[in-house]
Amino acid sequence: MFLTREEEKALDGEYGPGLQLAMRILVKLGDLFGAERLLPVRSAHVSGISYKTAGDAAIGFLEGLCEMGARASVLATTNPCGFDKRLSGLLELPDQIVSAQEKLLALYRRLGLKMTLTCVPYYQFRPERGSHLAWAESSAVVYANSVIGAFTNREGAPSALAAAIAGRTPDYGLHRPENRQPGLLVDFSFRPRDEVELWAAGFYVGQVAKNAVPLLRGLRGLSDWELKGLGAAMASGGMTAMFTLEELSGSRRAPEGLEKVEVGREEVTSTLEKLSSAEEPDLIFLGCSHCSREELALLAEHLRGREVRRPFWICTSRHVRASCPELVRAIEASGALVIVDTCVVVSWVEKLGVDVVATNSPKAAYYLPGLSGVRVRLASLKECVELASSKGAG
Amino acid sequence: MGREGLVLKGKGVVEGCVLGEALVSTMPVSFLGGVDPETGVVVEKGHDLEGECLADKILCFPHGKGSTVGSYVLLALKKKGLAPLALVNEVADPIVVVGAVIADIPMVVGVDLELLRTGDILEVDGSEGLVRVMKACS
Repeated sequence: MFLTREEEKALDGEYGPGLQLAMRILVKLGDLFGAERLLPVRSAHVSGISYKTAGDAAIGFLEGLCEMGARASVLATTNPCGFDKRLSGLLELPDQIVSAQEKLLALYRRLGLKMTLTCVPYYQFRPERGSHLAWAESSAVVYANSVIGAFTNREGAPSALAAAIAGRTPDYGLHRPENRQPGLLVDFSFRPRDEVELWAAGFYVGQVAKNAVPLLRGLRGLSDWELKGLGAAMASGGMTAMFTLEELSGSRRAPEGLEKVEVGREEVTSTLEKLSSAEEPDLIFLGCSHCSREELALLAEHLRGREVRRPFWICTSRHVRASCPELVRAIEASGALVIVDTCVVVSWVEKLGVDVVATNSPKAAYYLPGLSGVRVRLASLKECVELASSKGAG
Repeated sequence: MGREGLVLKGKGVVEGCVLGEALVSTMPVSFLGGVDPETGVVVEKGHDLEGECLADKILCFPHGKGSTVGSYVLLALKKKGLAPLALVNEVADPIVVVGAVIADIPMVVGVDLELLRTGDILEVDGSEGLVRVMKACS
């Protein structure tokens, strides 16, 4: 791999062991994946922030990095952590967990990362179209590539952190235009009734697309939050890091001879059967990925005049929450909680004695049983509001 | 049966030359959740290495899987003296590659594991990208 003189010096340790380690990680990955050089990145988005998913091993590594004097050299944002102030009380988390999470956050802060604590950093710091990024958090990666038109691979927690420190990423994969061409034509032969059906179809596409960029035919007029959830679902179903909407690809027609799959009601129904149960929920959760202002506005509208009778948590970023206090007030007037910095997936809901969580996110439905041992009922935002305001059978 | 002296050529990822006993799996390994960082024992249910301790073994498996935070677990194991002596993979996977780099564990990728058996004595040369069967177990 070609390195500039400055990059060589960094790799040789002339600028300290922290940057050297970051460069070593990036150069190894670049060599293995056929990169010819490193690219400067505009930002990095780092995962492995919640103590629940990162664990003590991450603390050990970060302490080492801090001692080596490592520091972010570009804008570096952070994924959600394990709890916000309100949740740590509600969940009655043991002191050990609370102090480990605080330690983890303090270490990331020392490394110069911004405490955005969200999986939707792009609502606060929107990258420019065509800019190169090094982002972890698969849902944000798909959004950046597909909706914004920025260039990023699907980084892991360590490689995104290394890129934050070095300000660079190896030039391979989705940084190269030839790898951003569609490799699979997906024909939507049905009209989704709501976002759950749309996103379940996305989850299915993620499972069948492997590492090809799917070109989606037959989807029209989707709003930003529907696209955000579609990408999140695809990424959790498989390896998808980018999709293209035929509707938005302008005059570019699907390349000849592209492999084609159809997504119809049958695929959606079988996907939902695998991810969802029909049980009565003890907790209703929206915000995987974190809610946008548009979703909060929808919720405020549906919740108007209603009283929530089961715990209803709506997760978003502190940035989005602060940007629309009137919507937050309207939502919380119903008894629902607008929670920031965390989400149900990376927190400890099992401590509440919750057995069944209702949510509209197939991604959450995929991860929650393994991470928290709960069952999931998939229901649209509208249905979640209904469920939250009904008393339930039990 | 002819495997002794066999030299498999792969690609070196992390430098270093070590000699040790092979622990061979046909299944991807998840370091976060799949391996207990306190003991170095594989805890994933149904894994063909379940119950095996990775410490000081030459760990041969197809590739990593699961959370990318798994890289940090390799470092945690190394600090406790429970890390594998070397890593041999069929396919380069970022989780294991980064883990090997930060924990400084010799690593070779691109090796056909079908020719290796648990209990073989292997020499792994991470600089040259070579795996030598020094003593084949029957």
